[in-house]
Formats: sequence, C-alpha cells, structure tokens
Amino acid sequence: MTDSLFDAGDYNYDDVKALPISSDQPGELCQIMYDDEYREVMGIARALLKKHELTERALHAVSEAIQLVPAFYTMWNYRFQIVKQLHGNDAAKLNAELDWLDEFTLNNPKNYQIWSYRQALLQMHPNPQFPRELPVLQSMIDDDTKNYHVWSYRRWCVNYFQNFEHELEFASDLIARDVYNNSAWCHRMFVLKSQFNSQPPAELLTTELHYTKTAIELAPQNISPWNYIRGIHLEFLNDKFDADIITFASRFTSDIFESPASPPQILSSYALEMLAYVYAQDPSTHEKAKCAYQALSDNYDPIRKNFWDFRIRSLTA
Amino acid sequence: MALASIAAERLARQKHQKYFERHLLILPSKYQDNEPNKLAIVTYALIGLSILGVDTSKKYQGSIAWLLEHQRHVSYEECSIAGFIPSLSTNIEEAPSLSLMSTLFGLWGLICLGARDSSVFKDIDLQGIGQFVSKCQCDNGSFVSNFDVLPSSEIHRSCIDPTDLRYSYAAVTILHLIGCRKSEDFSRYISIENLIEFIKTQTGVNGGFGQYNEAHAGLTSCALSILDMLNDQWDCLSARFFEQTAEWLLQRQVSNQGAMTLMIDKNECYDPEDQGGFQGRENKFADTCYGFWCLNSLSILQAHTDVKFDCGNALSDYLLDSTQNKLLGGFAKNNEDDPDLYHSCLGLAALSLNADEFNGTLFLPRQLSENFLVPS
Repeated sequence: MTDSLFDAGDYNYDDVKALPISSDQPGELCQIMYDDEYREVMGIARALLKKHELTERALHAVSEAIQLVPAFYTMWNYRFQIVKQLHGNDAAKLNAELDWLDEFTLNNPKNYQIWSYRQALLQMHPNPQFPRELPVLQSMIDDDTKNYHVWSYRRWCVNYFQNFEHELEFASDLIARDVYNNSAWCHRMFVLKSQFNSQPPAELLTTELHYTKTAIELAPQNISPWNYIRGIHLEFLNDKFDADIITFASRFTSDIFESPASPPQILSSYALEMLAYVYAQDPSTHEKAKCAYQALSDNYDPIRKNFWDFRIRSLTA
Repeated sequence: MALASIAAERLARQKHQKYFERHLLILPSKYQDNEPNKLAIVTYALIGLSILGVDTSKKYQGSIAWLLEHQRHVSYEECSIAGFIPSLSTNIEEAPSLSLMSTLFGLWGLICLGARDSSVFKDIDLQGIGQFVSKCQCDNGSFVSNFDVLPSSEIHRSCIDPTDLRYSYAAVTILHLIGCRKSEDFSRYISIENLIEFIKTQTGVNGGFGQYNEAHAGLTSCALSILDMLNDQWDCLSARFFEQTAEWLLQRQVSNQGAMTLMIDKNECYDPEDQGGFQGRENKFADTCYGFWCLNSLSILQAHTDVKFDCGNALSDYLLDSTQNKLLGGFAKNNEDDPDLYHSCLGLAALSLNADEFNGTLFLPRQLSENFLVPS
C-alpha cells in the first residue's frame, strides 16, 4: 500500500478490510464530500472497532482517526476501552497515554472531550500525580487565560487530589498579568468554598479582602474583584459590610451622595452598586441607596435603567 | 418587533435563507471533522429557515425518511432503548453510537420537517427513547450522552463523557418532546430529585450557573430551561437567588455608556462597539450566541421574579448592525469573524425570541413548538 493515505506507523494492517463510508443516501441533507485520506483512515479505524479489536495497532489507528476528527466521541470511547484493556493498571503506560494526550491537547485547544477523557484516565491510574498535570495546564492557560474547560479541569484536579496549596498563588499570577481575568477571580472563590468546610479562617478572609482592594485600586471599573468582595460577604460574613469596606468603596464614587443633582465624574460604577446594595439593607440609609440607584440609572449605567428603577421601587415597597 | 416587520435593509432575509440552504446541500471536505455533529448542522439550518418563515416541512419533506433512519434500537438484558446516531455514513451497525445530543437534534429536525403533521412522531419509539434518557442519568443526577461503544449485554454509561448541564438540558428537552409535561411524566424515566440536587451544585455565588463557581451564560440557560420544563421545582433555590440570577444576566449586556467607558484601553476584552450585545462571562467580549442564552434565561426568569428589564432591543440592534453579514448571509460570533452556522441560527433565534416568536426553552420557533403533536 505505497500510495496509502493512512500512516500505519510501526504496525501492519494488511489483514484489515477497510469499512467503507456509506454514501448516496436518498434524501440526505448536508452531504459531506469526504476526502480520500478521511475515507481511508475512518475505514480502517472503524473496521477495527467493528471487530472489537483491543490492540496497540488499534490504538494507533484510533489516534489517526481522532487527529482527523477530534470530536468523534465514538473513537474516544473506543480509545478508552483499548487503553483500559491493555494498560489499565500500568502507571508507565498510562503516563505514555497522558503524554500523547498532552500533545493532542496543545494542538486542539478548543476540543472539550479531551478533559473528561483525561479525568477518566486519572481515575483509572494506580498512582496519579497532580504535578504531572501542571505543565499542560500551564501551557493551555498561557495560550488562553480564560479557557473555561481548562479552568474547570484544574478545579477538578484540585478537588481530586485535595491539593489547594498553590491555588491562590496561581490565581494571583494570572491576575498580575491581567487584573480583569474573571476566571482567576472565580478561582479564588472556588478555593475559599472548596478548601474549607463552609467557613474559611478569618485571617484568610482579611488577607483576601486586602488583596482585592489593592487590585481594585489598580483598576476600579472592574466587575470581577467587586463581585469577589460581595461574594465573600454573602458567603462568609452574613452579608454584613463593615465601615472599612464602605469607606473604601466611597473613594471611587466622588461626592455623589452630597451633590446628586450635578453628577460628578466617578471612578467605578461597581463601587456605587455595592454601596447601593449595602445602603438598601437598612431602612435608615434607603435615601442613600435610592440616590445611588438613581445615579446608576440616569448617568453611570443607563443600559440597565429598567433594572435600577426596579431596585428603587423595591426600596419604597 | 415581529421579525417580519424588521425593514428589509436591516435584515438580509434572502441572504440568510440562502446561507442556511447552502448548509443543507453538499458541504466541502473541510466540514468532515463535523461528522459527529452532522445532525446539529442539519437542525441549526432547518431551525434558521423556520425562523425566517420558510416552510421546511414542505421544502424538505423528502428527507423525513432519511432523518428517521438515524433512529436505532438496541436491546440489553434489562431493557430496550432507542436513540439517534449522528451520521449514517460512518455508523458501524454492530456498534451504533447513539447519543443524547444526536437524539435531541434528530427530534428537533423531525419537528422542522413535519410539524404540521402529527404522524411525524408515529415512527418514533417514544418508550425506547425515554429509556435511553433514563439510562444516561448518573447517580449524582447529571447525565452522560453516550454508552460505552463496545457491545455488551449490560448498559455501561460512558465514563469519558462530560456531565455538565448541557446534557441535563438535552435529557429533559428530549423527554418534553416525547410527551412528558408533568413531574409524574418525567419521573417515569429520571430522578427529578437527583437532577435538582445536581443543578444546585452548579450554582455560583453571584447568581449564575456554571462549573466550580464560575458562572456561564450558556449553562445558566440550560439550568433555567430545565426548571421551566419541569415547572414545579422553582422552590429548589430561593427567590432571592433567582433575583441575583437576573441581575447577573443583565450585567452581561455590554454597554459603552456612563462609567463603562472607563474600561477603554484598560480591559483588553472590552470593546465599546459591543454595545447592546451580551457576553458569556464577566470581562469577555460580546458574542452573538450569548445574546440568545442570556435573553432566553431572562425571558424564563421574567415569569418567576419581579425583576423588570428591557434589554432585547439594544441586543437586536447589536445583532443587526454588528454581527449580521449582509453580504454572505449569516451571523458571526462577533463584529470581526466570518459567519458560521451556529451563530447564524442563534443570532436569528435571539431576534425571534425578542419578537416573542420563539420558544427559547424548547429552542423552536413558536409556530413549531405550539403545533407539533405527540401521539400518546
């Protein structure tokens, strides 16, 4: 087979009769014009699956098929059955599979099946190692710092290995690169909620609030750290905001509460939202809350006018 | 505003129609890596055409038998199941790869091809499909989309499948499409209690739904659509939580007014030209498809919270002016990319939803969602 478009690698497939791709279906919609390589590779990989062959050469053929069609979940499942059968309890062989997967992952960053496949491999692995996962995670995050699947996989690993040790630091590195990285901010909340059984130590909350304030000073109009502050209060501080945090937020809203008639230039509408939220908690400060919501509605965030007006109505109700 | 009353110079109907029709004809080999999603291609194109008012049941009537052929039955010791395979071309008869997603797209496609004729479902194995959905549910309430591929007398859920809210949405929607309306109908096949427990694990601190506390507009739409279909489970989370959800969703609408301009030249994922569009997560660019996911989520919530909002018209302007491709037809993800089928369908769906002509929960134009009949 010198003119074969299927790269057989070190294996021999002479006895495999390719399973043809059926075409000419009456009434077919979106008929795809397969190229010859596709027909050949799929023909061989599917023929092996049809025989339920669980061998090294089948694994190779599946690799070729997955390279062409990364979303082919049937082949991924077949691949897993082969790996389980051949290498199920062999750490070194499973590491080789992870090596293959690393390479594939870097070349197919948008595919999401790779991550759940990876989870299944680690769950089968007799001696899985978190550090083994870190380089590929780092490369993928470097490539796309907000990739949802990569962050989810990292969090799965952190839970699976129960290793939270470096996670806040990891998030801080990403935030240092881009203070607007919402995934990194969410990662902090994930750590607080997952590492501690409902209540993180008070000192940690203090450090986190301090860290967040510093980040806000760099870029006040940034929803992520403000969400984090509100999340910390809601989850761990009974939604009670102390004078410090109110004073802090007020630094970004100019003298809005003194001169609502002539709206000043403010530094953060999110600071104003948080103040409105806090003032709305207590009837004695409802006037201030109303002033803040009115300013958001009229000046600082008019696209959500209907919503801020709804908030004002809820106050007086 | 009704889709039909949007001025011709604003919405390139003919171009969009041709764009969808092209996808139903012959596709070049660059599409071959989409083979496992082939029924999704078919269905996005058919739904897009239906939104535009094309009677797809007339035009593509000759394809009903072809689409039905994707339905396969598999017998196990414990029960028989039925579902759709993604492609006739690459299927292996000895190991048919039924999937929840293909089944959902297959049923949607059938409704597009024969909505006005109640007999379109007569060849559907309702019980078998219900059993398939049933067997896809995991112990924690979530769902896989596939079983292990090697034949076996017992059912083994695929352990390499993701189990996020997308598959839960697919499971519940399939059950709705085959006739489940009340809790007792759904409970014949799945544990609602476990599903609700799973959904509750997917909540974020700020009111959105997603994995590991990172809220995501697409997953939020899945969660709310499920609750909408189940209908009597809204007390699983507090009214206050859903108010937060609405606020989180409204905050996804990108604006170039007021204090938002402070992000110009600082936030690398902020573009003032995204005005009116929705982002999928905080500090991301607007994207056509999240316009649909957010608007759908908000429309569902409108019936369950007191929150008032009006974000649809600014979204429509964004879609019509920024992501619509009036030359080639179709919609792109954003104001830079080329159009693609998925964003074309979702863009039109958002416009149609804003015109109250689309059932966002079932992802079908109203004229289809209200007319298809399931034989009991």
